[in-house]
Amino acid sequence: MNMSMDAFFEIYGIFATVVLIVLGIIALLCLLRAIIGPTPADRIVAINMLGTLTMSMIAVLLVKLREGYLADICLIYALISFLAVIVLCKVYVGAYLTKKKVKEARKNGNS
Amino acid sequence: MEILNLIRLIAGCFFIFLGIIGFLVEVLGVYRLGYTLDRMHFAGSGDTLAFAEIILGAVIINGLNFTSAKLVLVLIIFWFASPVSSHLISRLINYTEENKEEHFHVCDEEESKQYIEKQ
Repeated sequence: MNMSMDAFFEIYGIFATVVLIVLGIIALLCLLRAIIGPTPADRIVAINMLGTLTMSMIAVLLVKLREGYLADICLIYALISFLAVIVLCKVYVGAYLTKKKVKEARKNGNS
Repeated sequence: MEILNLIRLIAGCFFIFLGIIGFLVEVLGVYRLGYTLDRMHFAGSGDTLAFAEIILGAVIINGLNFTSAKLVLVLIIFWFASPVSSHLISRLINYTEENKEEHFHVCDEEESKQYIEKQ
């Protein structure tokens, strides 16, 4: 079979389009999970998954477009997604402990 | 040479396909399981495997160059970052969950001492 590099990337381009569509559907499902998730932890898990899905999309797109700079964007996205999870966890724990403290203070004040 | 390219294409597409399957299973698990820690376990392990497979497929198709090295760097950083975020999420659940005794057994100090002595 005669296969030049152009044909190689043409076939991969069709495959990558299908893959990107499927990844988009999965990302929508993750967003739905983030909306309906009953606890804050569920939402953070869904956000974490969304970040990973976006990184995979960038990696697939990088090979499709043959643009090397997208790897740097993928790297920055990984770091920012990690930072977002850390900050969200810290903020939620802090808010929860403050709320608990306020509730206890109110209870002691009443009694 | 052409045969080699064809094999490269098939192998790369196969690995990306496996990654897609991994993500689908992960989403299925996150929807099916009822408790947050189970969901977190599924999401964390699924993320690690599926992302690795997709990066592997992209590297195989891209060939050996500097961009592939950067993709591998992204994978290594993700493998360090993902367990840490899972740990933080589980700590958040441990702090904020009101009725965690319903879902799993929480040891007190004596019980954990007995467990350590038994080991």
